[in-house]
Amino acid sequence: MTIKTKKILVPLDGSANSIRGLDMAIHIARESQGTITALSVKSVPGIYAIHPLGFLDFSSMTEVKKTLDSAKIRAAKKGIQLTGKALAGDPGFDIARFANNKKNGIDLVVIGARGRGSVKEIFLGSVSNYVLHKVKKPVLIVK
Amino acid sequence: MNNTSNNFKKILVPLDGSKYSEKALQRASEISIAFDSKIILLYVVEKSLPLNLLDRKEYLEILQKFGNKTLKKASDILLKKEIIAKTLLKEGNIVAEIEKVAKKENCDLIIVGNKGLGSVTRFLLGSVSNKLAQSSQCSLLIIK
Repeated sequence: MTIKTKKILVPLDGSANSIRGLDMAIHIARESQGTITALSVKSVPGIYAIHPLGFLDFSSMTEVKKTLDSAKIRAAKKGIQLTGKALAGDPGFDIARFANNKKNGIDLVVIGARGRGSVKEIFLGSVSNYVLHKVKKPVLIVK
Repeated sequence: MNNTSNNFKKILVPLDGSKYSEKALQRASEISIAFDSKIILLYVVEKSLPLNLLDRKEYLEILQKFGNKTLKKASDILLKKEIIAKTLLKEGNIVAEIEKVAKKENCDLIIVGNKGLGSVTRFLLGSVSNKLAQSSQCSLLIIK
C-alpha cells in the first residue's frame, strides 16, 4: 500500500524554513515514489503588475531562478525528480491558485511554517496562513 | 528504510468523533504503513465549556464515555490494518492538551482534519486546527 501523494507542491522563497520544507517533501516523495513541483513566486506589489514600467522589475527573476536551480540539485542528489516553476505576483494567492488548479493535480502541499517575514517570528507566517486557509488539498506545515 | 532526521517516528492523531477526524485517521494509517511509525490517538474532554454547576459532573461523564467510544472505534479501525495504537484520554483545554501530549511523547507529526465539530466555522479552518497551526512545536498535516 502506498500513500496517494504522487505530486507534491513545495513553495520556495529561498529561506531556511522553505529548504526544510523541501527536505521533508523529498523524504515523503522517496517513500511514495512521487514527484515534486517546486513553485517560487517573486513578490510583485499589485501596482507593478499593470504598471507600464513594471517589466523593469522583472530582471530580478534571476534570484527566483537561482532558488529553483539549487532546489533541483538538492532533489537530484536524493534521486527525486523536481520540476521548477517561477511566477511573479502575490505569493499567497498564486500558490493557492496553483495548488487548486485541477490541471496540476497536486496531492499535497508542503510548506515551511515561516518564510522571510521575520517580524512575526513567533507566529505562523502570513503566506503560510493564507495558503493553509485557501488550499483545498492537504497541507503539511514543517516547523 | 533510510534514517533521515525528519522521519515520522511518532504520529499524534487528535480525535473528536467527527468525520473529518476519521479522514485524518485514514491518512495517518497510510503514513504509518509507509514510514513504519507509531500512532498515538488522543481524545480531549473539554473542561472549559461554560457548564451549569449542577449538571457539570454528569455532562463530563457523558463526554468521557463518548471519548472512550471514539477511541475504541478508532483503534479497532487501526487494528484491522494491523497497526497497534496507543490511546490517551485527557481533560482540559483541547489545544493545550494536544500540545502537552505532543511534547511529552516527542511526536514528529500531528495529523488533524481541517475542521471538527464546531459548525460555525464551517467554511473556514476549524478553530482547533488553526490554533495548532499557529502554536504547535512539531509539524502539522492538515487533511482536507
